[in-house]
Amino acid sequence: MSSTKAARIGEEVWKTRIDKVNAELVTLTYGSIVAQLCKDYEGDYMEVNKQLDKMGYNIGLRLIEDFLAKTNTGRCINFRDTAETISKIGFKVFLNITPTVTNWATDNKQFSLVFEENPLADFVELPDDGRAQNELWYSNILCGVLRGALEMVQMQVDAHFTSDVLRGNETTEMRVSLIRIIDDELPPGDD
Amino acid sequence: MPIYSFYIFDRHCECIYVKQWLERERNSLRPTTSSGASIINSPLSGAPDKRISAGTIADQSLRTAPGRLSVQDDAKLVFGVVFSLRNMVRKLSGPEDNFVSYRTGSYKLHYYETATNLKFVMLTDVKMSNLRVVLHQIYVNLYVEYVTKNPLSPVEHPGGEGVAVELFELGLDRFVQTIQEA
Repeated sequence: MSSTKAARIGEEVWKTRIDKVNAELVTLTYGSIVAQLCKDYEGDYMEVNKQLDKMGYNIGLRLIEDFLAKTNTGRCINFRDTAETISKIGFKVFLNITPTVTNWATDNKQFSLVFEENPLADFVELPDDGRAQNELWYSNILCGVLRGALEMVQMQVDAHFTSDVLRGNETTEMRVSLIRIIDDELPPGDD
Repeated sequence: MPIYSFYIFDRHCECIYVKQWLERERNSLRPTTSSGASIINSPLSGAPDKRISAGTIADQSLRTAPGRLSVQDDAKLVFGVVFSLRNMVRKLSGPEDNFVSYRTGSYKLHYYETATNLKFVMLTDVKMSNLRVVLHQIYVNLYVEYVTKNPLSPVEHPGGEGVAVELFELGLDRFVQTIQEA
């Protein structure tokens, strides 16, 4: 699928088939989840990252079905196709953003998503305790969502943030790498 | 036009939902096993020998009352058929291709598979037109809405847990009714 075609589908589905909610509601709900996790784990930000990723993973496992039902897209032909679909259709229909796909590795198995805008992080300032700036990946739930959703369509990936404007970096960038294609499961033997 | 049964298989090759209709009509066929079968077959299948063998086994199981297979065994057979057929089709014409339906002398099997490896199968009367779109609609409007989006339903459905919920059943029954009447 070409990138313009993906963009067109994303736009179309977002306009016609998506129920919208107030963006601030999403931002504030997500913010309270992260804040609560930080409290529950008493500032163990590594653990908070892990929990966010896990929550996202469980969302992704279901979200993919909704994605396929709404967009009616078929299987992607290669990982580049997958990247375009994630950015132009996936992020578009669920968050109304289209992160830029860039920094491809030469083997076409790794790419970066650069977020010019991130509705999850509006109004956010990381805690000023000297550690959150270095340890907390505030939007880490997104990594989990991608991991879960792609696993359901037979792609095992690793996704993690490499920079975040909240930490004072220039950009917000997520690195996604394909680990392997999961084989179809075979039915159990008749014994 | 009658619809006989409907199956959903998940990515672990497990049957997570079965629904069979018209149990009574099938039963009424039984006493006149041989003649009933030939009446159904004769006008529709000029070449009964072309039937897919697995289908024939399933056929017989429906008709011969004593040797009739359980619902679970039926489901296993159906899965075996679609699984092999799907793999064969992909080997012959590339991974993008998929079979849509096949027909025997006495039933037609319709098939739809999602990118997440969920398989939807419906067995109907031979004269039924293509139901691929219908199966897709069942996925979009019923399965995703009532099963996937149900927060209390598990993500995976071992043993069919969480699929046979009331809203899904009602919706499916109503939907199938409209197709049968059409």
